[in-house]
Amino acid sequence: MSHSRNSRRDFLRTLALAACSGGTAAMFPQLRMMGTALANTRSLPGYKALVCVYLAGGNDSWNLLVPFDTARHDVYADARGGVYNAQSNPDGLALGIPAGTDVALQKIVDGNDSSSATNQYFLHPELDDLAALYRANKLAFAVNVGTLVKPIVKADYSTPANRPPQLYSHSDQENLWHQGTSVTNRVVGWGGRCGDVVHASNPNQDLSTCISISGANRFEVGLSTVPYRMSSSGLSSLNGMCNPTPCSGVSATSVRDNALNTLLADTYANDFAGEYTKVFGRSRDLYNLLKTGLDGTTLVQPFPANNSLASQLQMVAKMIKLSKAQNYAARQIYYVRLGGFDLHSGLMSGNNDHGDLLKLVNDAISSFWLALAPGDVDAQNEVTLFTASEFARTLQSNGSGSDHAWGGVQFALGGAVNGGKLYTNGGGPISGFPDQHLDAPNNFSRGQMIPGIGVDQYAATLAQWLGVTSPTDLAAIFPNLANFATGNLGFV
Amino acid sequence: MTRFSNACGALAVFASMVCTGAHAATHDRLFAYGFDPAPDAPADANEASRFLTQATFGPTTADVARLTALGYDAWIEEQLARAPTLGAPAVEQVVNARTAAAQSVSQSQRIQRWYWQAAYAPDQLRQRMAWALSQIFVISDQSSAIGNYIVPMAGYYDMLAKDAFASYRTLLGDVTWHPMMGRYLSSFRNQKPSATTSPDENYAREVMQLFSIGLVLRDMDFSPILSNGVEIPTYDQTTITHTAKVFTGFTWSDAPLNPPNFYGGGLTFAAQYAPMECFGTEHFPASGSGSNNMRHDITGDDGTTATPKTVVGGVTIPPNQTCAQDVGDELDILAAHPNVPPFVSRQLIQRFVTSNPSPQYIERVAQVFDAPGANLGDVIKAILMDDEARHPPALASGDHYGKLREPILRLTAVWRAFNAQAQAPDAYGEVKMSAGNGQTSSFGQGPLESPTVFNFYEPDYQQPGPFADNDRYSPELQILSEASAYSTGNSYYNFSAKAYVGMSNPPTDRPLIDLSSLTANATSPAAMVATIDKSLLYGTMSANMKATLTGMLANLNGASASEKAWSAIYVTMLSPEFATQR
Repeated sequence: MSHSRNSRRDFLRTLALAACSGGTAAMFPQLRMMGTALANTRSLPGYKALVCVYLAGGNDSWNLLVPFDTARHDVYADARGGVYNAQSNPDGLALGIPAGTDVALQKIVDGNDSSSATNQYFLHPELDDLAALYRANKLAFAVNVGTLVKPIVKADYSTPANRPPQLYSHSDQENLWHQGTSVTNRVVGWGGRCGDVVHASNPNQDLSTCISISGANRFEVGLSTVPYRMSSSGLSSLNGMCNPTPCSGVSATSVRDNALNTLLADTYANDFAGEYTKVFGRSRDLYNLLKTGLDGTTLVQPFPANNSLASQLQMVAKMIKLSKAQNYAARQIYYVRLGGFDLHSGLMSGNNDHGDLLKLVNDAISSFWLALAPGDVDAQNEVTLFTASEFARTLQSNGSGSDHAWGGVQFALGGAVNGGKLYTNGGGPISGFPDQHLDAPNNFSRGQMIPGIGVDQYAATLAQWLGVTSPTDLAAIFPNLANFATGNLGFV
Repeated sequence: MTRFSNACGALAVFASMVCTGAHAATHDRLFAYGFDPAPDAPADANEASRFLTQATFGPTTADVARLTALGYDAWIEEQLARAPTLGAPAVEQVVNARTAAAQSVSQSQRIQRWYWQAAYAPDQLRQRMAWALSQIFVISDQSSAIGNYIVPMAGYYDMLAKDAFASYRTLLGDVTWHPMMGRYLSSFRNQKPSATTSPDENYAREVMQLFSIGLVLRDMDFSPILSNGVEIPTYDQTTITHTAKVFTGFTWSDAPLNPPNFYGGGLTFAAQYAPMECFGTEHFPASGSGSNNMRHDITGDDGTTATPKTVVGGVTIPPNQTCAQDVGDELDILAAHPNVPPFVSRQLIQRFVTSNPSPQYIERVAQVFDAPGANLGDVIKAILMDDEARHPPALASGDHYGKLREPILRLTAVWRAFNAQAQAPDAYGEVKMSAGNGQTSSFGQGPLESPTVFNFYEPDYQQPGPFADNDRYSPELQILSEASAYSTGNSYYNFSAKAYVGMSNPPTDRPLIDLSSLTANATSPAAMVATIDKSLLYGTMSANMKATLTGMLANLNGASASEKAWSAIYVTMLSPEFATQR
């Protein structure tokens, strides 16, 4: 497998372009901010952080976690057009069962299933570090998670009200993942609304609970929470101006800086100008707050180069270290993002194929975990990292890749995670590791999986760990949660 | 639903609705008003500058004079008639020269040329339209599928410029058949169904969601059509699966036909930007060259029964057609779909005039779009000449008219307002417009550099706060962050404080702005501020901002005339008022 790492693909993202939002908005303004103000919780003890790793484009996660037993692997391989081979089967999308020394690197056992006939799986060969973390019980998989209004079976699908709107659309499904609900036109996300609840516990009220290293995102927007968007390269100074601002004296720099601050402090009737001043003003305020401390914060753990996700997580680790050292926050929510997963072609071979992307994920996350160890950030038990992606992909091949589908595999990592297990049961009619026969009762003709676990359940589990535990708060943030048998999957 | 059903009744209807050709009669009227002021001339230079801020990469003194002399209509007609300034020939020359000299080549070559065209091309309206279209019909060098195709990507942009005022159907066809789009959204070498594979659905989905009709049925004013209070999707997954079969069989224009090789070709730059070839069974009967080369879905799986395709609106594309017929039918159906005029018109209005056009404004433009024989030249004229574009509402609290200026357009506006002097071409014939690709990562946007096919920002992005609370849109705010505010500012510093005519040790990798219109009045802060107001803000600078800048210049009493001048420009570039276009 090629490991060439094309950093240029991500160079825009060092600044962090966002993507995602949009979709079908506009229709029911009365629903958009659906906002009962949530109870501020002022006394959350200790420190905890959630880190959302968003895999943009729709991760083909049925190649992330694969059955190891021959019986189920045959079904999987058949659905994917056979095991990929550049010469003999270039259309196939299946991974072969590991053999020899690869078994020890890739194989995992589901601690929630005592039957050796069904509890053996292997991870994609590029995920060896994550496999080791799983075996150390630090990492858990949530299997067949997707956007749902309520638990459904195939027969329910044809009634539009039974399913989320605009399935298979990148922008819409990403919004639903960010929002933790099936109401597409909400502006707020579940991370931001959790931020609304926990922010009062943070000693420093100027620093947002929600910090993005990857630009604008709906996940971190709350009713009162506005995410702080940083670059993975840290805080740069503003040329020709005072850094920090203001500065004393009558230098030309001071004079310009004073003029800029005066303009930014003015009130503007036009909302575009008004929002511009808010964002620019936060740039200046947070530079003043963080610059010195962040420059003085170093990590013992090295991070891989030419890996945009690693650069982002390195900044997260520094911010956690700084936030704890300065006692800025009791609760934080971070957002990082890696794109390129929309592999309609070149899934199994070529530059930036799925293996290359998963290698970036493996290296970035394993470095982050090591940076959280005692002696460095020292927060392995206080940080829970989790993945999200708008959808998994068709099991069936299109010749060199896979197309948009629905339910897929996610994982959570942390000292608080009940790891070494697969969480496959959301209490609905579809549960267990899914049957991968094409057009089986739990999927459609190209192997688009009907989710057994709703995004709402996955997200609510994480929110509760962070400290959002009041039923009223949970019901407000996740309005569909009541449709499911459980609001806590127990993986953390 | 009635209108939709009627429009989609029969394929024959669409064939007759296809718009062809340009529109010669209305677009060649130049100099109609001689040397007298035109009857529809802008009232003053500020009004002219405001129009040119919408219609070009920034007003210049010369363009203000030209517009004033011609009037709006004749100026637009003159621009519609201007030949496109092309990028690919220039980029190809530089790439070849650099390659011959063993110098590295990168997308930087294409991007330098793009900035040169933005700053200097005389067909400004066409170039602005191409820029707007490139944000709808997105391809991006961030994709490894085309990231190394420097010249062909310039060719794609040239295609957008050539088609900027053509019919929408012509544009949609050229986009669909372009190999850079083919590679970007993987219709290139897409294969018909087999026993174990289905066609790639990528282009089938995005051509509908993003390039033509969008996700839900809409009226001409863009409001969604409701059925029992619920939006009506334009298509479902079954439609996607069927439509995917249409977009199969494409390969390089020079892929060998005799004997056929689906995986051959692409041997020259020209072949990499010429419209794709489509391999179908009509070229290669089963008795001929073998099924490996039958890539388009004409005869179904492996020579079995033919497969009709039920596409958007429930229309069936018949079996046993050629590839070109299949694709042509599909694009005719999409182009004639009643969603297209409001869907495309709204996005174009957002790029040129305002993020929140009224439904009436969208409908007026969409009606022009939808008129028989209309082309995109008519559409842009309708957008720019609409009363809502020409006459902004009075500024009052909660105002949401206009838009945040794109970071790139703030830079080009300063270049053009202050007569930026281009560098001489280097040894390879390249005119350097920047320090490499730096400003793209600073701005969060760059030409054909979007992170995904969803562009740098989305038409429906709503900034949290007043925009979201009031259900209003603010696309460009999506790329303004606490980080990009500073990185954009630092880029502007490098293009102003660090790049002006007459400075010591001037850079050689970017244009130098001419400060003389400001330094001429270096002892009069008020006069300098008046020049800034006229040159960059078309006379809209607030009293507060005037007082602030005047005070700043007065306090810069120890600074050189040049430093006063660039300070005024730089602080204005960072100002909330210049960041906004009203």
